[in-house]
Amino acid sequence: MGTIKDRYAIVGVGESERSRKSGKTPLHLALDAANAAIKDAGLKATDIDGFMNYNEGDSCTSHQLATYLGVRPKYVKDIQGGGASTEMLIADAVALIEAGQLNTVLIYRSMNGSSGTRVGRGYDPDMLQRALTGGSFVIPYGSASPSQWFGMYATRHMHETGITKEHLGHVCLSFYEHAQRNPKAFLHGKPLTMENYLATPDISSPFNIHDSCLELDEGNAIIVTSAKKAKDCASKPVYIMGMAARQCHPHAHYWNDIDQVASDYVAEELYENAGVTPDDIDVASIYDCFSWVVMRQLEAYGFAKRGEVGDFVAEGNLKIGGKLPTNTAGGMLSEGYTHGMNNAIEIVRQLRHDYKGTDRQVEDCKIGICTGWAGPDIAGAMILRN
Amino acid sequence: MTQAKTAYQKPIPLKDIDNAPYWDAADKHQLALQKCDDCNAYSQPPGPTCAKCGSENVSWEQFGDDIKATVYSYVVSYRPFLPGFQDELPTIIALAQLDKVPEVKIMGNILNCEEKDLEIGMPIQMTWVDITEDRALPQWIPATN
Repeated sequence: MGTIKDRYAIVGVGESERSRKSGKTPLHLALDAANAAIKDAGLKATDIDGFMNYNEGDSCTSHQLATYLGVRPKYVKDIQGGGASTEMLIADAVALIEAGQLNTVLIYRSMNGSSGTRVGRGYDPDMLQRALTGGSFVIPYGSASPSQWFGMYATRHMHETGITKEHLGHVCLSFYEHAQRNPKAFLHGKPLTMENYLATPDISSPFNIHDSCLELDEGNAIIVTSAKKAKDCASKPVYIMGMAARQCHPHAHYWNDIDQVASDYVAEELYENAGVTPDDIDVASIYDCFSWVVMRQLEAYGFAKRGEVGDFVAEGNLKIGGKLPTNTAGGMLSEGYTHGMNNAIEIVRQLRHDYKGTDRQVEDCKIGICTGWAGPDIAGAMILRN
Repeated sequence: MTQAKTAYQKPIPLKDIDNAPYWDAADKHQLALQKCDDCNAYSQPPGPTCAKCGSENVSWEQFGDDIKATVYSYVVSYRPFLPGFQDELPTIIALAQLDKVPEVKIMGNILNCEEKDLEIGMPIQMTWVDITEDRALPQWIPATN
């Protein structure tokens, strides 16, 4: 995909209100997010001909969203997916525009993640045994939550690299600090201290509630079009420099080898396609379903060497003003949770300098990275510029 | 039908076309592993073909009932995420690295183990818990020697 460099852009972003109990259907939340993104781009709904979403059986369809925006869509796609789906669908949208099938695509994630289906609370055991590769070797032992699945990786990785619980705390504290500057962050007004963090008991080791992403009712939307069409939009275009849309662990039963993750395979392809190195990145959105997942990706994407990631975060490098300001709206730990799309929206706003003149803006940032993590098994990422 | 009060509440491993020999061996308190006859890689969990090379020539190797391992990684869960675990908290879930075949790692609970004694590298051995009349679940306990 190297040849797409700078030829496609994100031209609109938007979100619904976020809450514990929306009192609305996912279709209403999707309409709120889509209308905000369309307004942001200065487009009419009928300028959009493709609609895509990812879901876990908890949302409305793209066809429904288009219908109630008053659009007869030319293309709709609804996929089963969580983390890393934003990046994958953006790549799919680019490919369809490149193929001449579509002009402008709206991608959304809308869910009642708190009042409806809750991801982190386990699933039907027999369904899980069948759905997971080798599920019968995992589920009978009580491991049914992403915190337990990824925790197995975390414990080993922390043991090998010297990452401590306090290091994980620095990830949380950095993002919570950003949330205090973002009035729309769900945990705005709820700062976190290291003392409070360390005093909070684990739910499943090594993670306590602060290490774990929020579960909220929320809709997010992103609009992608060609660089040529982007010039007609009201917003400042944010160009896609390069992507690595979907990389996988060698084995679908990812506990088969917990020493590697899919993100390890994303990084090389991503930097090559974008033509940049980790040193060129000014601002980051790193998928943060759990604090440790950020640590592992900082290593995978080359922001800190293996064994030095703990010090990197303890030095405050993830904060605005640090070497790699990360999840500057608060991330999924403290802003909101749409399996990564809220982090993608934030990187767009940073690169457009939407916060200029406030303490939220990463000054003069030009290049940003946005990573997705479905799990140790599947990952994707993109590098954007203004 | 008569064991309503004591019925096993936790999920019972589902046998399927690929994993049945593993669970059949477990029911007899034995370990069996799938092995590729072409590249000699073990497949854990077992599958329709070898996950290393794609070969269809896979067979089963018996390892008996004296299975030693060390803790490769673990989590300790303080909340039940599945039925049946609510009365046994915290639950230790570990990935065991087999002494004889270090490339094979098998997940299980470590029974009879205090959380404070749990650490990576700790020697453990496989045991089998009879969970229904005809099913047994491989588990781990701290090694005694």
